[in-house]
Amino acid sequence: MKRIFVILLLFSLFLTGCSEKKEQKQYTATFLTLFDTVTTVIGRDVSEEAFSEKAQKVHDALYDYHVLFDIYNDYESVNNLKTVNDNAGVAPVQVDKKIIDLILDLKKYDEMTHHRVNAAMGSVLSLWHEARQDGINDPENAYLPDENALREAQKHIRFDSVIVDQEKSTVFITDPDLSLDVGAVAKGWAAEKAAEISPEGLLISVGGNVVATGPKDEKGTPWVIGIQDPDSDKYLHTIYLTKGSVVTSGDYQRGYLVNGAYYHHIIDPETLFPARLYRAVTVVCESSSLADALSTALFLLPMDEGQALLDKCNAEAVWIDMEGKIHYSPAFQKLIRT
Amino acid sequence: MDKTARLSFRRGDLVSVGLILILIVLCAALFFPRGENAASEVQVYLDGKLVYAYPLYEDRTITLTGVYTNEIEIKDASVRILKSDCPGEDCVHTGWISSAGRSIVCLPNRAEIRITGQPDVDFVVR
Repeated sequence: MKRIFVILLLFSLFLTGCSEKKEQKQYTATFLTLFDTVTTVIGRDVSEEAFSEKAQKVHDALYDYHVLFDIYNDYESVNNLKTVNDNAGVAPVQVDKKIIDLILDLKKYDEMTHHRVNAAMGSVLSLWHEARQDGINDPENAYLPDENALREAQKHIRFDSVIVDQEKSTVFITDPDLSLDVGAVAKGWAAEKAAEISPEGLLISVGGNVVATGPKDEKGTPWVIGIQDPDSDKYLHTIYLTKGSVVTSGDYQRGYLVNGAYYHHIIDPETLFPARLYRAVTVVCESSSLADALSTALFLLPMDEGQALLDKCNAEAVWIDMEGKIHYSPAFQKLIRT
Repeated sequence: MDKTARLSFRRGDLVSVGLILILIVLCAALFFPRGENAASEVQVYLDGKLVYAYPLYEDRTITLTGVYTNEIEIKDASVRILKSDCPGEDCVHTGWISSAGRSIVCLPNRAEIRITGQPDVDFVVR
């Protein structure tokens, strides 16, 4: 009898041992109200509730940036980029340090890319934005922005006209016809900042700006990212990502049709029209904001100039040209899983 | 060594063998990754809330009305948004999806259609 008790005791120990080591499952949370795009948070956890709490924190961090970087809407008692734009040529605007940090980084990217990634070209982009929105809402009467208006707007895109005072935490646009549009970099930038305050083991995507905050489990299993082939439903490649960032700029992501021709959203600041060098460029690098800037820059630049930028930033890329031919930066192959 | 002694069972031994067998089965059941390998389902979310869930292997159409109306078609183990009155109709242009973990989003309608199951990749950049 005594022996049975011992066995029962052992049995119950085993049982609790079993149930305490809870199975972790992979969960996905989707948010559709940030940055006019899809935000996805993926992670492994013991319960949906535990995971949702983490995902919500990512959402809340991103929401702050969503409000601050909005150039279309006002928010009560917040000075955001719309406030800064509205005060162009009028007065410096006191802003949150997050805006100061963003603009200082954007200035760097503007110089680094020889003005290809220029967040001060809101005057040009707003003409495209308006034409695109009208074209989407009324496809029959879709039109292109007026070329003279584009040329006129191009005179007001110099980042030098954006004056940042770090001490006073103000931004002043000296040119009344200049406006900021941070669309090309803000999502990657915000994703990076959200990732910095998030626990390890999350995969965060803000409109395709993907950041991993560490391996997906305690064993160190890397995340597997598929790079979409623009011309089929298959993957071009799958790559491993443990920490760092991946992003794709593609000519199919956002755009509209005018007389049967598709006009996408990545506008070359020199030609003032959508760039037509590649179908897509995917960049892998440690920093998500840099990856976002680089993917836009590479999309606009000849391959050798793009490669020079990659070398400077310790980043890798894959280009798909207009004929569907695939080109790799030298060390990209090392990242490929399949 | 005494052979007969080694082979003789007492009642306690039988009980312990039985208990150990039960233990093995229970542990296996607890460790078995349920859910992730379950048959794929089509989940439809509106404003972040799960509103429909249907097997991927049963053909049907679903009308989803939020700010706009999406007509969702499940056919031959694939899903698409067949029709939508949203501006741009990006969701319709997404076309068919059929793999676990893939989703179609209609941003204006705040709708997401997701196929459950163990995905072959964690995320797709496009």
